[in-house]
Amino acid sequence: MKGRRRFLTRVIPTTFWASITMRSLSQNAEAKTVENTSHKIFTTTEAKTLTAWCAAIVSGAEEAGVAQFVDQNLAGDQAASLLLLRYLDASDMAGFYRKGISGIEKECLHRFGLPFVQVTDDQRVEMIQAAIASDMQVWTDPDPNFFYFISRSDAVDVVYGTQEGFAELNIPYLAHIPPPRPW
Amino acid sequence: MTKISHDKVEVVIIGSGIVGSTMAAELGEAGFNVLVLEAGPERRLSDMISSQIWSRRLRWAGPEVRETGDLVGAANFAMGWGTGGAGLHWYANWFRLHPDDFHVRSLYGRSLDWPIGYDDLRPWYDHAQFYFGVSGDDDSNAPPGEAYPMPAISLSKQSQAIKAGFDAEGLTLTTNTLAVNSAPYDGRAACLLDGWCDAGCPIGALANPLVLQWPRARKAGVELRHNAYAARIETDPSGSKAAAVVYLDEQGRENLQPADIVISACHTIWNARLLLLSVSDKYPDGLGNGSKTLGRYFTSHALTTIHGLFMQETEPHLGVAGANTLCLDGYDDKQPAKDAFGSRAWLVGQAAKPNDLLGTALARPEKYGEALDAYLHQASLHYGNMTVLCEEDSMPENRITLDPSKLDRYGLPMAYVSNSLPQANAARSELAKAEGLRIFKAAGTSDAWAGPRNPMHMMGGTIMGNDPSASVVNSYGQVHEVDNLFVAGASLFPTPGAINPTATLAALVFRTAEYIRTHRSELLP
Repeated sequence: MKGRRRFLTRVIPTTFWASITMRSLSQNAEAKTVENTSHKIFTTTEAKTLTAWCAAIVSGAEEAGVAQFVDQNLAGDQAASLLLLRYLDASDMAGFYRKGISGIEKECLHRFGLPFVQVTDDQRVEMIQAAIASDMQVWTDPDPNFFYFISRSDAVDVVYGTQEGFAELNIPYLAHIPPPRPW
Repeated sequence: MTKISHDKVEVVIIGSGIVGSTMAAELGEAGFNVLVLEAGPERRLSDMISSQIWSRRLRWAGPEVRETGDLVGAANFAMGWGTGGAGLHWYANWFRLHPDDFHVRSLYGRSLDWPIGYDDLRPWYDHAQFYFGVSGDDDSNAPPGEAYPMPAISLSKQSQAIKAGFDAEGLTLTTNTLAVNSAPYDGRAACLLDGWCDAGCPIGALANPLVLQWPRARKAGVELRHNAYAARIETDPSGSKAAAVVYLDEQGRENLQPADIVISACHTIWNARLLLLSVSDKYPDGLGNGSKTLGRYFTSHALTTIHGLFMQETEPHLGVAGANTLCLDGYDDKQPAKDAFGSRAWLVGQAAKPNDLLGTALARPEKYGEALDAYLHQASLHYGNMTVLCEEDSMPENRITLDPSKLDRYGLPMAYVSNSLPQANAARSELAKAEGLRIFKAAGTSDAWAGPRNPMHMMGGTIMGNDPSASVVNSYGQVHEVDNLFVAGASLFPTPGAINPTATLAALVFRTAEYIRTHRSELLP
């Protein structure tokens, strides 16, 4: 998988701007539950961590149900999966997410002594920036840069890639066949 | 293991995509008894849901491909799964290779030569563009041929914005040539320019196998068997004839499908892998590997996308996902600078939605939070892009092999692709990137940036040639050692040029079908 990692690492400049303020982070951080729906693959803790991570990358990802989107597609037939990861590494998709979530927690505990859902907005930003810059201290597998790329794409899918998301961006959807549901 | 045996057919084709379905329709209409084996499930037009999220179900879902090198990583994105294969999500860019692309070795002392030239393929290019339905205008930079059956799709707002940059650089931006209807054609509707091409075109304005080849093939009596994953090709005891295809069904059972003629048309990587898997006492290194070139000379196109934000509104969500416009100025100059080699082509103004690999969000992967939201709101109105394809030299080191240490879900060795871009081609790619950024700057962008170099298209691995000691098949795709075994598709290309391969692989299919028709008595017992 070395080739894929290099492909994606090159996508993201390591010198990237840092002065970005984030919307709704505090709202997301205070959320007590991710969704009301139980998950099939993730534990509740894993789902909360993934939700908080994705919401720090894409505002609205929590409300759009990003963890449920990922969980539901990991639980189903791989051929019917709607996850972008299937393009790039479909060998063990559930394992990829689980290890990535574990990496977030391990790195966060190492840096701040707290789980990701309990750290401050600034600390979340520091973690995201470290993933983009491939500058994690203890999280190595899966490649944090690649995990950022994939989880960001999942969050973009549920927030901006739906008919509702298009409307929010003022893009006419113009479907030949509309999706039966957002995802 | 007991095999399920089936009645013998005259022709079995492995793969139901553009290549397999075109071949099936051609041979079925010529009166052959044809069966097509498709690894994936049945697809219908109703599966072509206008959503980048839902369209992922049309992409490859078969066994993983392992990849290494600096120009790999898009196999699952490029390949299809189910009826029509990648033909359900292709981009419909329709270009002919240029005459020099067939003779790179002779002209430049590098890469390879084809055993045929442009003039050999020209009539088949002409035929293919009427069969598929191609829209396009005359382009003095394109090779000679018949006029296209439909006028080109007009310039989009995105292309209009970018054109100023090409003008400033002294380059000609032309309308594109696409297998997309600019007007109703052959009973199929005209394109609505809504930019959903790669999610599938259920109205059939974009030529896809569900609306084009499969209705013809079915009418001709071709049988299509789904969930049939080809595992190997067996020969007769002498080893001189292909005898049957062994495939695995949904339950994992081995099925034996005897045939008089076997045609592998299951995409570049799988064509090579299938022959490599087909070992026997007579062919211990794989079927058709007497030259030891099976799997070698894999090539791709080195792609770089230039992105930009324009002052004017560009309607980036509209148009076609392939490219609205094209620049072939300078294509024939394969030596644009010292130590740089290869042709390049600019594909301009691709329709872009917010999400997926080619969406506006992933054009700026470093943006997150509020900055991402602000960028996407701006990009939804003002984004523009263009992609340059650069040629890769054909090198024996770039290859498809089997990895016996990694087995797929069927217990077969996984395909392993190794591809690295030669230095002279990388230098060519860098020149093109700089050119693209100059063009976008001259076009008045407020912000312009280049994406990373990525692969696009997969070619080679079962290359054609006149010399059986240096190639796998002849110019008809006929395996040198086994004359009733054919390979079809871009895996035959000895060199890739710098343009999308579908027009060429389609022309080759029609040429091979004609060969099989005219050699029927020799090929059938």
